[in-house]
Amino acid sequence: MRRIFTNFHGLKKRCCKILLLTFCLVSVETFANRAAGQFAVKANVPPKIVTGKINDQNGLPLPGVSVKVKDMNIGAVTDANGNFTINVPEGSNVLVISFIGFATQEVSIANRSSVTINLAESASKLDEVIIVGYGSQSRETVTTSISKLDSEVLENLPFPSVLSALQGTVSGVRVQSISGQPGAPPRVIIRGGTSINSPNGAAPLYIVDGVIRLQMNGINSDDIESIQVLKDAAATAIYGARGSDGVVIVTTKSGKTGKTQISYNYDFTGSEVGPTYDLLTAREYIYYQRLGIVASARKTPSQMATLAQATGAGTGNDLTNNTAFTTQYLTPQNQYKLNEGWESMPDPVDPTKTIIFKETDFRDKLFRTGLSHNHNISASGGTEKASFNLGVGYLGSEGIAITTDYKRLSLNFNSNLKVRDNLDVFARLLYSRTTDKVIPNLSTIFRFSIAPAPTTKYRFEDGTLAPGQLATIGNPEYILSYNEVKNSLDNLTMAIGSKWNILPGLTFDPLLSIYQVSSDNRSFQKAYLNGPAQPVNTRTAIASYAKQLQFQADGVLTYLKSFNNKHNFESKLGLSYFGRNSNSIGATGNNAATDLIPTLNASGMAVNVAGSESEQVILGYFARLNYNYNQKYLLSMTARYDGSSNLGKNKWGFFPGISLGWNVHKERFWEALPENLLQLKLRGSYGVNGNIGSIGLYQPQGQYSVGEQYAGNAAIQNTELANPNLRWEQSKTLNFGADIDLFNNRVRILFDTYRRVTDNLLTTLALPRYTGFANTFTNLGSLENKGIELELSGSVLPAKSSFQWDVSFNVARVKNKILKLPFNNIQNNRVGGFFVWDPVRGDYAWLGGLQEGGRLGDQFAYKQVSIYSSDAEAAKGPKDTLVPGTNKTKYGGDVNWADLDANGIIDSRDRVYVGNIYPTWTGGFSNSFRYKSLDLIVRMDYTTGYTIYNEPQARLIGQFSGQMGLSRDVLRSWQKEGDITDVPKFYWADQQAQNNLNRGNSYYYQSGDFLAIREVTLGYTLPGKLLQRVKLTNMRFTLSGNNIHYFTKFTGINPEDGGTDTGRYPVPRNVIFGANITL
Amino acid sequence: MKALYKIIFSGLIILIAPSCTKELNLDPISQISNNKFWKTENDARGAMYGMYARLRTETSSNLFLLGDARSEILGRSLAAASNEQYYTNSLTSADPGPAWTGLYRIIHDANLILKYVPGITFSSEAAKNNILAQAYSTRAYVYFVITRTWGDATTITEPTEGYDSETNQKARAPQAEVFKLIKEDIEKALNLFPDNNFTTGRNIWSKPATQALKGDVHLWTAKRLNGGAADFNTALTALTEVEKADVALLANFESIFDYTNKGNKEILMATRFQEIEVTAHTIHQNMYISSVYMPVNADPESKQAIGVLGGAPFMTISNTARTQFANDDLRKKPTFVEIFTVNATTSTRTFYGSAVLKFNGFVNSGGVRMFLDDIILYRFADVLLMKAEAKNGLGQDPSTEMNLVRQRAYGPNFSNRIFVRGSREQNDAAILQERLFELIFEGKRWWDLIRFGKAFDLVPSLQSRKGQDHLLLFPISDVTLSLEPNVRQNPGY
Repeated sequence: MRRIFTNFHGLKKRCCKILLLTFCLVSVETFANRAAGQFAVKANVPPKIVTGKINDQNGLPLPGVSVKVKDMNIGAVTDANGNFTINVPEGSNVLVISFIGFATQEVSIANRSSVTINLAESASKLDEVIIVGYGSQSRETVTTSISKLDSEVLENLPFPSVLSALQGTVSGVRVQSISGQPGAPPRVIIRGGTSINSPNGAAPLYIVDGVIRLQMNGINSDDIESIQVLKDAAATAIYGARGSDGVVIVTTKSGKTGKTQISYNYDFTGSEVGPTYDLLTAREYIYYQRLGIVASARKTPSQMATLAQATGAGTGNDLTNNTAFTTQYLTPQNQYKLNEGWESMPDPVDPTKTIIFKETDFRDKLFRTGLSHNHNISASGGTEKASFNLGVGYLGSEGIAITTDYKRLSLNFNSNLKVRDNLDVFARLLYSRTTDKVIPNLSTIFRFSIAPAPTTKYRFEDGTLAPGQLATIGNPEYILSYNEVKNSLDNLTMAIGSKWNILPGLTFDPLLSIYQVSSDNRSFQKAYLNGPAQPVNTRTAIASYAKQLQFQADGVLTYLKSFNNKHNFESKLGLSYFGRNSNSIGATGNNAATDLIPTLNASGMAVNVAGSESEQVILGYFARLNYNYNQKYLLSMTARYDGSSNLGKNKWGFFPGISLGWNVHKERFWEALPENLLQLKLRGSYGVNGNIGSIGLYQPQGQYSVGEQYAGNAAIQNTELANPNLRWEQSKTLNFGADIDLFNNRVRILFDTYRRVTDNLLTTLALPRYTGFANTFTNLGSLENKGIELELSGSVLPAKSSFQWDVSFNVARVKNKILKLPFNNIQNNRVGGFFVWDPVRGDYAWLGGLQEGGRLGDQFAYKQVSIYSSDAEAAKGPKDTLVPGTNKTKYGGDVNWADLDANGIIDSRDRVYVGNIYPTWTGGFSNSFRYKSLDLIVRMDYTTGYTIYNEPQARLIGQFSGQMGLSRDVLRSWQKEGDITDVPKFYWADQQAQNNLNRGNSYYYQSGDFLAIREVTLGYTLPGKLLQRVKLTNMRFTLSGNNIHYFTKFTGINPEDGGTDTGRYPVPRNVIFGANITL
Repeated sequence: MKALYKIIFSGLIILIAPSCTKELNLDPISQISNNKFWKTENDARGAMYGMYARLRTETSSNLFLLGDARSEILGRSLAAASNEQYYTNSLTSADPGPAWTGLYRIIHDANLILKYVPGITFSSEAAKNNILAQAYSTRAYVYFVITRTWGDATTITEPTEGYDSETNQKARAPQAEVFKLIKEDIEKALNLFPDNNFTTGRNIWSKPATQALKGDVHLWTAKRLNGGAADFNTALTALTEVEKADVALLANFESIFDYTNKGNKEILMATRFQEIEVTAHTIHQNMYISSVYMPVNADPESKQAIGVLGGAPFMTISNTARTQFANDDLRKKPTFVEIFTVNATTSTRTFYGSAVLKFNGFVNSGGVRMFLDDIILYRFADVLLMKAEAKNGLGQDPSTEMNLVRQRAYGPNFSNRIFVRGSREQNDAAILQERLFELIFEGKRWWDLIRFGKAFDLVPSLQSRKGQDHLLLFPISDVTLSLEPNVRQNPGY
């Protein structure tokens, strides 16, 4: 196999031409013969006219149903009343009736010229249509690993980002809602991704109606017909060069023949924040903060002074605008505040004095109930000559954090025109404009300003909003009030294409598209106070504009041929041109004289200009051959040859895929089993994919960059080593799977297991530091991903039952392992890592980092064994070198760290493995119940196997920032000799005191494992009779809950993302009312 | 059928042929690929400023951490302890201080210039030589920083233009070899500088600045590498050469550091920091004081001296150093401020803390204090004190230079502070002391202590550790060791 590929490589372009031509010649010769035969038939005998009517199970007419003469390219579509007429050539006696959502049926018309058929709703999904990339196939003949989203998921929730619909609904796809910012897309990683450097950046390739996109921004879920995920390499090989991280294929709605339907959808959403941090009240805060300062002053006596300063619990504050906090001693002058909601307490340090303060819970200031409205109106219909679908949508969504929002205007227009009997042309327009107000620095708000000291002034005495301690930790309402941000993003796709049935069996499908993304961003920082004493009038205004224009031209020649109704061939040959031009400009200005103008023109000083332009071209040639013998033995071969402008000497890569399937239930011996008890397809695939996603557009050429200045002179710096040898990253996937239908199609199982090895990984290699470069981009090593995936769906009750209960369940596991790294003289060719005691080896060793045999994302921290209950116990413990300063004495209330190497010293070598940042198991399950007009859907998903460093929690106990609020965990902190607890003694600024929390305490490395109740929807559909009375086709009301609850042990704000929590916008809980009316 | 056959056939050819040959070789538009650079004089000039921008980055914080922070001048301020591991001298391989990455990045820039500039046609030979001299001086200076910090050092004299992990791993060269390279580079630079003038701003190397570097280097090798009288002589000659250039002591000590007085006559070489060009403040921001820590009842004098608050009080002048400054020393007030709180009823003043005023930047038009003073590599007072040191090393009288410095420092009180030659040891002690007062926070003190052999005597955190000479070098970080397997840790760490 490898030699063939190599030869192919050698022949390069010449070879690809020859292959294509040969393919064409063969095809043309074959169809020419076949065509001659057909024309002959046509000429001699006049066709028979068959009419008919097609209804659903309940006898209601079904418009838009496809009726075809079996094995012929002759078809018709039912009209609004379910009637059709078709010309059937002599010798053909069977019609094939198919309609999405219904079981395909074959009807004999021998001796009949009129038929009435009641189509049964499809319970089996084996006959569902699967889009496979440049074509479609029935599930029955698919031999690769492809998952399809159950379209029911899209029905009830207004997804600001449609990718959220994939969360827990498609196996092998890790979808993490990493931000609750309205409109923020979740992270989508298929089968663990192929990147060593940025495993969380290995986004799949998105293809929307044949147009390649890097993201799904702005796509309205109401416009979507189907979403499919191509997972194994044989499936994605057709997208060769860019398929290794998986491919998500999205099809938008298109018109169907029949009566024009107009429908209107409306959703109203109310969003609230879920649980955040449990914080101390102001009274408790002052008590612990002041005692914590005294405790810290044991080490640094000068800190006693802060008790009297204008700090969170310090008494140096007053009622003027000069201090950030309310805390102060009671005086005759301020006594009146006690009548205005202020509270008082004895000073815990000097109980003879009384402290007064005003409590504010800043979470009430930061969060609100967000309201969202989603309107969609669509019209769809068509005749046999033309069909169209038009959808217009508007979503206005408020975030749960003040000032944040997301607005989306979307337009989708698909039309199809039958120009000739054998020629269809279509045009598509997909446009969206989104604007949003986001929180620019999540860490400032959700790590720090979510919990400023509760004694922080919310308003000054004069009623103006107070800034709080600083612009980085302060009153979130104030901080968000002076940042004015405006972002907009336009996505426009225009595509035209055709389907030309050149001859029976032979079609040509060209598609030309322009995809344009333009973004327009500006931000303005009004004059503000950085803490009460520091006015900042810099008034920075930033504006930028970026445009990306993508041209894509695809041409696909398809040839279908059956021999003896047994040997079925489908061959495809295509080419694809992809070109993208990007450019951007931006500027920054400072020192505007006023807050009134947020744009650049008001700036008094030009600070910075920026601009960039770039191009990329990717060319691809591809071919696919599908063969099946009587739908029993299945074979599919795919190959793609891709060349990309952003590679150096090795621009071209060859990516083949082969897959085999066996419909076991079609074998004669299977007939021993009762019919439809068990249908089984076994399949296996192998393929090679490429990836150049992470490589810069000109990376192999090295880079001298500009932008720096020195003393007014423009500077040029060598920032990138040239590496002309950069080549395609290659992932090879071996996949085995089974499709099983049980009990008369009531249970359906898809199972896959795979091993993917990615070689020549494109990644940065850390360089010796004397080279002057931190790293260089190279093809580094091999990574293995192994996994299993299972999707199960079924109807608990028989189809006849009036009460319907459908369940579905999916689970996927993925594990990665580094197989090979470039030789660097170090054991396991390790890069980075932690030098720690390895209990397995009984010696010191480098663990974690990147090393052969290891995996990505291992975390290490100091292990908290217990909290010393007394000074005496602490004195007996090991010497702790991480206690700051020269006095390393440990006290009661300090953490007893695991001394792994038992050398009596705690140092960096005593860190232990505390978990991995990447999930291993993902999946979800759903139950849907239907009784007459009522339906109920409960959908849950889960992700497990990863660890989050809950740094904000440690910070709220360790008071690292000095003047933040404190966690309620402080209440059970060690307080006096003999206390047994798991929370160390509270020291103000732990990192300067005993460093019990700041060093990376294992206790705050928490499992992120969660089970989320993602959706509960109660729906009511007006019954048919009622609808007819009001002359409506459909009317449905829903009440949904979304992101209702996480079952998790993680105590932070969002459990969905591994690694260090540096402040996350909480995922909102939503309650949604929806209505749908179809005329 | 023939016709259709032909149509499809030719259609495919039309589609495929141009595509197959379509140019996939695209040139960048908004950046420069490596093989397109180094063609013109302007390329060379841009690269030279690129090198200086990187030198500036290293001087912004690392130069202080390497050259000052481990000495006795630094102590904890009011906020969280920061960089405590430096002044407590508790650096370890896990917490090792700055890595040499950024320094070698400058060397890479210099190496590129030295490799490619000779092949470029310039408008004048002098212009070309000047750029080469800049690269040699910079490379010499950076290696001097490296070898004083870590001792032995990997010597790289060719730019890195490709990487092969199996052959590229290098070991460190002995310190003597590093100094050989430094001295050769200095000589080449001095021969290449077309004249003895400064450029406006004095923010790139010049012949007199390189002479100062030469003096500094030879003082080091005279004292630390047994260079003896020969090196003292070379140093003295070089430092004397400096005086022939357009340099002078400014009358007012404070004005040397003024943001508005950059590139003044006292400066020989400074890296240029200016608003907009540089967004990151220098490390001196961490020695100032913010509103959170400024007491409401601070004395008016210190409030006035501090002016607009800024930065954060992580580090400040140590009590050891602070108490050495005499009140009649005119350098005291511009160097630091002592903050007292005043009891409103009793008017008692209590010492609260201090803030470093040297390099406290300026307040921009937005009202924000920007710590963007030029970082001075060499200035004339430094040269004078080095000259005094060289003279004393040769047994000559250093009092002329000492008194030039003191005259400005004490102004009207100079008559009480006149330096009178003593024994060689006494002179050395006086010069070292004078360097503290004059050059504190200018990235010199730690190296001064090593050069004078006084680190274990004068640094409180080292006094009990005499004999542990490895402490005079920095440890090499675990990260570096893991990336550079042929590099060995400095013995003792």
